[in-house]
Amino acid sequence: MNHLFDNSDAVNKLLERYGVKFGIYKNGEFKEQLFPFDSIPRVIAKEEFDYLEKGLIQRVTALNRFLADIYGEKKIVKDGVIPEEFIFSSSGYMAECEGTMPPKAIYSHISGIDLVQAKDKTWYVLEDNLRVPSGASYPMIARDLCRRASPSTFHDIPIADNRNYAELLKEVMDYVNTGGINVILTPGRYNAAYFEHSFLAEKTHSVLATGQELVVENDYLYYTGCNNEKQKVGAVYRRISDDYLDPMNFCADSVIGVPHLYSVFKKGNVALLNAPGNGVADDKGIYYFVPKMIEYYLNEKSILNNAPTYLPFYEEDRKYVLDNFDNLVIKDVAEAGGYGVVFGKDLKGQKKEDFINLVKKEPRRFIAQEVIDFIDIDIMENGERVPRKADLRAFVLTGQEVKVWKSGLTRFSRNPDSFVVNSSQGGGFKDTWVLLR
Amino acid sequence: MGIIALERASGLYWLGRYNERVYTTLREFFVGYDRMIDESEDSYRELCNMLDIPDVYGSKMEFINRYPFDENNVDSIISNMTRAYDNAMVMRDVIGTETISYVEMALSAIRKAKNTQAPLLELQEVIDYILAFWGYVDDSIDDRGIRSIIKAGRRVERLDLYLRFERPASMLEREFAKLKSRIKLTGLSYDESVIDYLDRAISENKINYSEAVLKLENILKL
Repeated sequence: MNHLFDNSDAVNKLLERYGVKFGIYKNGEFKEQLFPFDSIPRVIAKEEFDYLEKGLIQRVTALNRFLADIYGEKKIVKDGVIPEEFIFSSSGYMAECEGTMPPKAIYSHISGIDLVQAKDKTWYVLEDNLRVPSGASYPMIARDLCRRASPSTFHDIPIADNRNYAELLKEVMDYVNTGGINVILTPGRYNAAYFEHSFLAEKTHSVLATGQELVVENDYLYYTGCNNEKQKVGAVYRRISDDYLDPMNFCADSVIGVPHLYSVFKKGNVALLNAPGNGVADDKGIYYFVPKMIEYYLNEKSILNNAPTYLPFYEEDRKYVLDNFDNLVIKDVAEAGGYGVVFGKDLKGQKKEDFINLVKKEPRRFIAQEVIDFIDIDIMENGERVPRKADLRAFVLTGQEVKVWKSGLTRFSRNPDSFVVNSSQGGGFKDTWVLLR
Repeated sequence: MGIIALERASGLYWLGRYNERVYTTLREFFVGYDRMIDESEDSYRELCNMLDIPDVYGSKMEFINRYPFDENNVDSIISNMTRAYDNAMVMRDVIGTETISYVEMALSAIRKAKNTQAPLLELQEVIDYILAFWGYVDDSIDDRGIRSIIKAGRRVERLDLYLRFERPASMLEREFAKLKSRIKLTGLSYDESVIDYLDRAISENKINYSEAVLKLENILKL
């Protein structure tokens, strides 16, 4: 295995060659950055993955049931399990989606569930990402190169092959396809995850398209060719957020969407992966209720743990948050990508007072969580192994069956004092090995 | 060929053109540079004229240092390579990650060459990667239409540059023949009157170079 670690630089060089990058805007300027790869993998034992797999399937099944319920009968609200304030005031809730049932009744086809493992080995779910979770392509391509760097490692150790992600994704696209080609809809070259859009299009044999290349005619969606010929589209894996998807139904200023796309979807004439409106289920406020959701819809206890979470919206929780402010991490429910995360202990004086007043004034806007001292994983730095915080994004794909990809994106912080692992904040990534026995 | 959107066809065409532009101008730069070693201070101006780029350099050394490497100058070789890269990036699903990697490496090679002691020696790598790119296009892109759009870009650019360099009819004839057979395979609509015009002008050796460049620029309706 040392062979693999010794060749870390060579693997990174090849990742550069293949354009494995992400885009970032700094001072209004677009820059492409390499996503640093560390070749020491996260290793998940078979029994451990079996447990995670069961828990993830359960969680995503319940979240899909929740979405169907919220845009349908709203029984979970009527039965008092989740207060309606948490639904209708969520920035992810879309009134336009009321009464719309996606093809095969699947809302979240690709779910990215962020987990961490505490030092006592307990896994905690930190976040559900049900809109456009990204990141699967990175370990997929890195694995290919690691196998080249050290064939004996992969011969000797029984590791699940993770290079089937594109097959799993294509299977899901084909299953929900209403008749026509599969398309990956990208906002374009200057999107942070453009590499992934184009790579997944290549590997799933889908057409990579921008909004300008798609057109709605007579309630169907078409891809238009340069000689004005048209090809019907049956499934769109869209990597554009809800608001910008369709200027006629959502944000009118959008120039990256497709006019009337949502109307085609509503009529059942095209599948959108993931369905619009999913944001209501991955709202950080709703996260608190996921274990209750599992009990409500599936009549089962949640297999996976949420991080201990408090909602300042509830008086009792608010009191706890204010009394224990320094020990908690407070998250703005409207933010993502590691932004809007405040560690209570880091705030002092006037800043702390202002923030507490904001929590009191807008309690629905925040959640507070116990700080989980999650395990460190070694990375190689200047030839030495050093421990760093790392999380795991597991990918759950829902088609005919719900399947958990036997790998995941392990992101790590390069800063020894930081818990923030996001690539946009300078983090790197690792391969995730799931052992077969 | 499956259908391909206009913007994507245009991207493939320009991918071919920019790769070729870097290849031919770099080779021309090597020849011009060699000549400049023995010639006067302002001999670089002749090369600027030939390449049809404005003289913003002021001296031979400035030209040598900036023409290949100045990312802020739209006419520099690196700017053209960046445009090739930009067009390649958006074609991953059509031409494949492996093909794109040669464009990526050519761009990296120019960036690295800039900071070396003998940049001209290092720039040879750029030529090598571009040739590898063309090899990979032939080897890996099965769709003849896609392949032909990229190669039509290459052929248009080569002929365009040779016309600007006022190359003799014998050289133009060879490049024109390649373009003429390639453009038919693209599946794109093109202006046949331009083909007729060039055919006549080159075969009769009555070439109005600047007029021919203007006509050639509009051969494809993209």
